[in-house]
Amino acid sequence: MNKALFIISLQHELAMAIGNKLDLKAMLKVFLKVCFNRLNLTSAHIYVHCDYSGIPSKLVPLEITNYQHLLSIPKRKQGVPWSQDEVLCNFTEKLNNEQVSLSFKCENGQHLFGFIIPNHGLLIFESHYEIEPEVQKALLPILQKLSTSCYTSLIHDSLVKEVHSRQLIEEKVAFQAEHDGLTGLFNRQHLNKLLTDAIEDAHTNKNFGSVIFIDLNQFKPINDAMGHGVGDQILVTLANRLNSLSNEHLDVARFGGDEFIVLLKGLNHNYQETIIQVIEEINQLLTIPFVVKANSYKLNCSIGYALFPLQSSTANNLIKFADIAMYEAKREKSRQGKQYKPVMSDKIKKRLAYVDDMKQGLENGDFKLFYQPQYNSDGNIIGAEALLRWHHPLYGMESPAVYIPIAEESDLILDIGQWVLEQACRDINKLEKLKLPKTFKKVAINVSAKQLIQHDFQDKVMRAIKQNNIPAEILALELTENLLVENIEDSIKLIASLKANDIDCSIDDFGTGYSSLTYLKRIPASVLKIDRSFVANIEKSKESAAIASMIISLGETLNMDILAEGVETLDELNCLKDLGCYQYQGYYFNKPVPFNELVKLLN
Amino acid sequence: MDGQIFTWQTQNDTFDDLKQGLILAKNSGAKSLMILTCTQNSYPEQDLNTLLQSYSLPIFGGIYPMITHKEKLIKQGALIIGFKERYEVSIFSDLHLLKSEDALEDLINSQLEKNKNFHGQDNFLMFYDGLMTNIEDFIDSIFECLDHSITIAGGGAGHLDFIQRPCIFTNQGLHTNVVLLVTLPRKLTTSIAHGWKILQGPYLVSEAQGQTVQSLNYQPAFEIYSQAIENASEYKFQTENFFDIAKHFPLGIDDMSNNLIVRDPILTENNHLQCVGKIPINSMVYLLEGDINNLINAAEEAAVNVFSNSNNPTEQIAMVFDCISRVLYMEDEFDRELQVINKHCSSSALFGVLSIGEIANSKSGSIRLLNKSTVIGAW
Repeated sequence: MNKALFIISLQHELAMAIGNKLDLKAMLKVFLKVCFNRLNLTSAHIYVHCDYSGIPSKLVPLEITNYQHLLSIPKRKQGVPWSQDEVLCNFTEKLNNEQVSLSFKCENGQHLFGFIIPNHGLLIFESHYEIEPEVQKALLPILQKLSTSCYTSLIHDSLVKEVHSRQLIEEKVAFQAEHDGLTGLFNRQHLNKLLTDAIEDAHTNKNFGSVIFIDLNQFKPINDAMGHGVGDQILVTLANRLNSLSNEHLDVARFGGDEFIVLLKGLNHNYQETIIQVIEEINQLLTIPFVVKANSYKLNCSIGYALFPLQSSTANNLIKFADIAMYEAKREKSRQGKQYKPVMSDKIKKRLAYVDDMKQGLENGDFKLFYQPQYNSDGNIIGAEALLRWHHPLYGMESPAVYIPIAEESDLILDIGQWVLEQACRDINKLEKLKLPKTFKKVAINVSAKQLIQHDFQDKVMRAIKQNNIPAEILALELTENLLVENIEDSIKLIASLKANDIDCSIDDFGTGYSSLTYLKRIPASVLKIDRSFVANIEKSKESAAIASMIISLGETLNMDILAEGVETLDELNCLKDLGCYQYQGYYFNKPVPFNELVKLLN
Repeated sequence: MDGQIFTWQTQNDTFDDLKQGLILAKNSGAKSLMILTCTQNSYPEQDLNTLLQSYSLPIFGGIYPMITHKEKLIKQGALIIGFKERYEVSIFSDLHLLKSEDALEDLINSQLEKNKNFHGQDNFLMFYDGLMTNIEDFIDSIFECLDHSITIAGGGAGHLDFIQRPCIFTNQGLHTNVVLLVTLPRKLTTSIAHGWKILQGPYLVSEAQGQTVQSLNYQPAFEIYSQAIENASEYKFQTENFFDIAKHFPLGIDDMSNNLIVRDPILTENNHLQCVGKIPINSMVYLLEGDINNLINAAEEAAVNVFSNSNNPTEQIAMVFDCISRVLYMEDEFDRELQVINKHCSSSALFGVLSIGEIANSKSGSIRLLNKSTVIGAW
């Protein structure tokens, strides 16, 4: 009677230990522990059937059994993994092959008992005594229940995995919706949301915030010259640096390209100090060079900011205002960060209107080419520089110093440049039909940076020459030293290629661009033009004379002609002559004159 | 004696006396100290802490309801044993905070890692806070996590009023909710005994939660328990204190080899029985009864077992972890238990504690928490 009760109680206890946990291993561990304690075992082990990828699975009929050790109590035997216990391994293999309950008496007097967990695995007990047959038999229905529980756990595991992977995908989608793919910072859409929330919070809680617009300077040349891989790496590095500033009051977003936005929110009345401090920190982050593929790049940025709710309470306006302020900072080459002011918008509006006027002027023929003759030391005209003049219908004659930079900011400079090229060629065509002095060789036009980086710039030049049926060698291009320095490798190639087509180039404003002499040696230009700043009062300035002298000897060494710009007095002329410069241009000889007057001068 | 060089004992309960004892122990040149004191002593906790912390040599032991030295039962006072060798002490702290098995295993594994898995160390004494509720989870986990089997003997320290107070000694002070594992320099031989016999049963543990039996045979546990005792004896629960009766009638869990693991009911509440040690749901339990002669005979048998196996009986050190409830049950007769144990011990280094729960290996090698039992260890 007691025996029967004992077995029933054992069965109950083991049965109750099944299915207490959902995870397969945890569930089996609870069961194994109860077996271990209740049956007074020395060790207990479970092997489970696994699929080919080693994941526990239900055994499919006719499939080759592949059991893997899942757990043991205790975990090791005298410090050695159970997988190295030969007696246990042999017994397990035999149990697996025969697929029926087995027992074995070991040489050390211990007993091994093996049971099958139907469709799922093997259960092995090691004991110091022989487990009675009726107890072994009483385990069979328990193993059936254990099998069902194993199956439930596997289903649960697969559901958990599915839910988890779905969760991961959802998280990924949610992340992608809010973050920039390259840098992992918030994207423009999410920034809008954050900003909208921050504005609302500012109204509710009477606090302040700011949109700080950051634009990298000189990023494009690096991207163009070194490739997007390098550019992207710099952007990612900068993003990480900016993100290190993040806190509950500061979010960082990538607005696009090399533009980033820092959103400051929930600030107290000391907001101005905070903004200045953050801008300082941003600039500080840029003092560390960006090292990509063993190259080091030093960059800086232009920063503009707008305040909310003080300057606007709409996200779009705030971003626009900060952008305008950034633009102003960039124009002024300021590193301090500029706060948006309404006058900046007015300026932009005026600028846009001015660009419209220029467009209109171009269409209406309000632009004219004037020519300033160039002379040799004998007083003969050797060429002329074509200079653009614009007669504004309302404001009269406009200064190129005002409208050229504005045209350069928009793409209008390309239209203007093209018009200059074509008009100069048309004028040359007319000149060609006249009897020109033998000394007259060149008509030079100025080329802007945007024109130069056009991939088909040379084609355009050649087309204009061809269309006007003029000899190529009469047209010359003037490139500023600064322009060359910014795009040195491409410029060298282009100048060489133009030269091969008989078109000479001269380097304008020489002495102001700090060009490396190594590069200068490689630039196949024909003329170096001494900048007017060194010519003015040259006879009175030792420094200017020294620089001019240096440029002259450089020209001699590199086999380039030297032409001095802005010669206004006889003293300057004489001084230049003394220094060895024999080509000139300037008011001393002639101011820029309309084409017709140039024709008269040549006659 | 081989490993012991110093023994000092006092039945004086003053702190100054203990201080003197420790100075003597230190001057003896001992490399490690076992300190056993009685709960009845009036040691100021803060002073005791400071005193223990002033020692750099390994210290282990605890505050027990009573302690023993050879044949003598010491109800107040202290015993200090100095050892020639340095006994390494590992402490497992804040165990009450570890609510899950995983957390417990993490702590044990990290501690084992620090101790290089007790490599080459197979023999331990265990001192622990006897009023911790998860001691069985701890011993299960350490057995599972250790990569080699160990021989262990130990006993729970603490106060019989079952109010938890700091009760374990190390050279870092007094501790609560801790287990100390003390590495022995020689092989430990243990023997266990209880001597309790079946009175009635079996009963099916139809509901249980940890150490609390809620129902037996699907009826409130206390009802079944009290009725069985009242039917078989003169005791009446209505007129007597629960523990005064229960100390005579423990429960026994029947195991596969027909061994009884004794569980001591100490409290009743809501018709439930709370024991010292877990009782698994669906296990089969018997109501046990004691007979002083049986208990003493069992202890003697254990003493014979452990001491007859020694190669060098006069040199060995022996420690007895005897359950305090045996004293409460046998009262003055308990001295006879100490006498029979001492009779078979050839060495003079015999000391022990009256503990709240005893720790020893089962025949299968696993580590078990025992109640109302005697564990004798010799090394």
